[in-house]
Amino acid sequence: MSPTSYHCSTPLGHAKGRAGIGQTFCVGYNAAGFAPSRPVPIDARLRTPMAVNPKKLRPYDQPPKVRRPILPREPDNGATAFLVAALVWFLTASGIGLLWVAYQLFPDQLTLHLEMPTISGVLTFELSPATTTSGFWNSLVYGWLGNAGLGAILFITPRLLGRRLATETAASAAAFLWNIGLIAGLVAIYVPQLAGSGALTEFPLPVAGVLLLALLLVNAAFWRTVLASADRLPYVSIWYFGVALLALLGLYGLISVAQLLSVVNVFSLSPAGMALANAFYGRALESLCLSGMAIGTLYYVIPRATANPLYSWGLAMLGWLVWLGLSTLAPLASLVDVSVPFAITQIGNVATFLLILPAFIVVANLLLSLSGRWTLVLSPGTVPFAVVALTFLAANALLEAIGSLGSVRALVGPTEWGTGVKLFALLGTATFAFLALADHAFPRLLRRDWGGTLLAEATLWAAFAGAAVAGLALIAGGVVHGSLLAQAATAEEINGFVFWFRLVLGAGIGLSALAAAVLALNVFLMYTIARPAEYAVVGEGAPVPAAQ
Amino acid sequence: MTVHTPIESRRRGIPGWALALTGVMFLAGAVFFATNLNGSNPPILGTPQPSGSGGGLNAVSIIKAAGCQACHGPDLAGQAAFPNLHGVKNGPTSENLQQLGKDHPDDWANLWIAGTDPAVAGIDRGGMPVFGGPPTNLSAEEIATVVEYLKTLP
Repeated sequence: MSPTSYHCSTPLGHAKGRAGIGQTFCVGYNAAGFAPSRPVPIDARLRTPMAVNPKKLRPYDQPPKVRRPILPREPDNGATAFLVAALVWFLTASGIGLLWVAYQLFPDQLTLHLEMPTISGVLTFELSPATTTSGFWNSLVYGWLGNAGLGAILFITPRLLGRRLATETAASAAAFLWNIGLIAGLVAIYVPQLAGSGALTEFPLPVAGVLLLALLLVNAAFWRTVLASADRLPYVSIWYFGVALLALLGLYGLISVAQLLSVVNVFSLSPAGMALANAFYGRALESLCLSGMAIGTLYYVIPRATANPLYSWGLAMLGWLVWLGLSTLAPLASLVDVSVPFAITQIGNVATFLLILPAFIVVANLLLSLSGRWTLVLSPGTVPFAVVALTFLAANALLEAIGSLGSVRALVGPTEWGTGVKLFALLGTATFAFLALADHAFPRLLRRDWGGTLLAEATLWAAFAGAAVAGLALIAGGVVHGSLLAQAATAEEINGFVFWFRLVLGAGIGLSALAAAVLALNVFLMYTIARPAEYAVVGEGAPVPAAQ
Repeated sequence: MTVHTPIESRRRGIPGWALALTGVMFLAGAVFFATNLNGSNPPILGTPQPSGSGGGLNAVSIIKAAGCQACHGPDLAGQAAFPNLHGVKNGPTSENLQQLGKDHPDDWANLWIAGTDPAVAGIDRGGMPVFGGPPTNLSAEEIATVVEYLKTLP
């Protein structure tokens, strides 16, 4: 075995009690590449570590226990925790999504209030259109996409920089804090006395504090790793991740501080001011944070999965620069109020329109990087997920550009159009980018020989149909709704038409839920029945040829 | 030991077509911006909501932003010592507001919510914040929108 290749043996943790342990499988490429300090014979791995001579043990003696740290420090622990949690949240979010659609369809019949007496008074648990809407968007954005994005950053960064993550313990702690905070926040959303106001800012302040601490830890792990690297001009994914992480921490920190100051009566924004701040935050979260994580991930998985070089480094950096400038300005378009000069809002609209440019650059660069490996698009695996993500990226940029035009805003502004476009971005672009990463990363993180299964195909098609149907239903519903408003139709007539589009939305969300369930089954089978394997560096002495 | 596995690129420079496209797009954006500066923004809290039910939802936005539900309950039906806001179309339901209702039958609710008028200065507010002043600073129009909405509650 080459000293530079990743060791190819069955890891102890996965080998216990399994038939065929000790067999060696080296498949594909594991960019984690953290070789052990010294090779350990396979037989030795099967024995429980003992500090004493086992021959001298008497029947009542117990072998010494191996002390494990509370927070694991192994490479990739943080990434694994985030990605496994993301999987669970994907399932949860799509389940809550079905509830959201049901409450959109039958708001009065399904609304439910449960009173819970507590020491400080009576708390009301509320299931209503408002709480299920908040629950769906928060679990989708912070639960599924947030966990997956942070997991992607922690998985990719050490592999690109050739350094172990600076503070692996902090990354594991961040995963724990982030998910504990999300669970608490999601529960609080259904108790309106505890929940805050706004969209994606409903978590109570203590929960926001926990989430901020988690973000701070991930930022610390990321930036310490980047700054310690000798690479002064790192790969383009790192640039996208850096902006996304800083923006998420900064924006969520600012909105939480504004809420805190309001609560303690130090400084309070007017209701209109708070609504503007919330609108800006919601748009920036999508344009800077989630799209940054998704594009950075796509720039990693496509060259890795195809084993091709990137088409152009210069084009990638041009795209990043243009994306950074325009994504920072685009949220200004959400500042629609009499107190904001129209020119400011218009800068945001023009930036939103121009965002089609970086999207086109990313799509062109990555499709040109596929050159010579086009057949991979038709085979199950990482590449089809990534190509679908690129398709949604282009479609979403086009729809955003159309929606930023004044005449279109006048027609569909107060309708479901915007929600449909947002679903394209979240359930389309970001979801497929992270599904591509999951397909690439889970076999490497769980050290299993697994890939290209029928379940991956099922996930791809269910998720694709789900995102397309759900997004298009709301976009079409928005156009119809806008037309009816222009004809001065009554609320009853409008609701009668929009009902059918919401029904189709339900079918789309149901397909997304199916995709999440199939993905969870895929990962479960991978962990339980697949052969243990290590992924070696291609062409560096791996005993078994690489199988990408 | 850590294996460094960078992703190589086929070319370092920026293709000419990309530079040209970027220039054209930014030029188009600048022209579009310069020729579309006439307009005005509507109030954010007055934007019609997706369900098409008009002013009712605007009032809900104000109510949610002002935090009314924290005391009066998520459906404004009251909780603990905080009164039920349903049925105020027939006049005040709280004992301490009966006189105010008689003196100002048309705008007693506006005066009470704002809390800045001398007519309500001597009434015990029972923990009810002054919404017409800091920190909430609801405008007279916003308060009127909320009152109109409250009068529609069954």
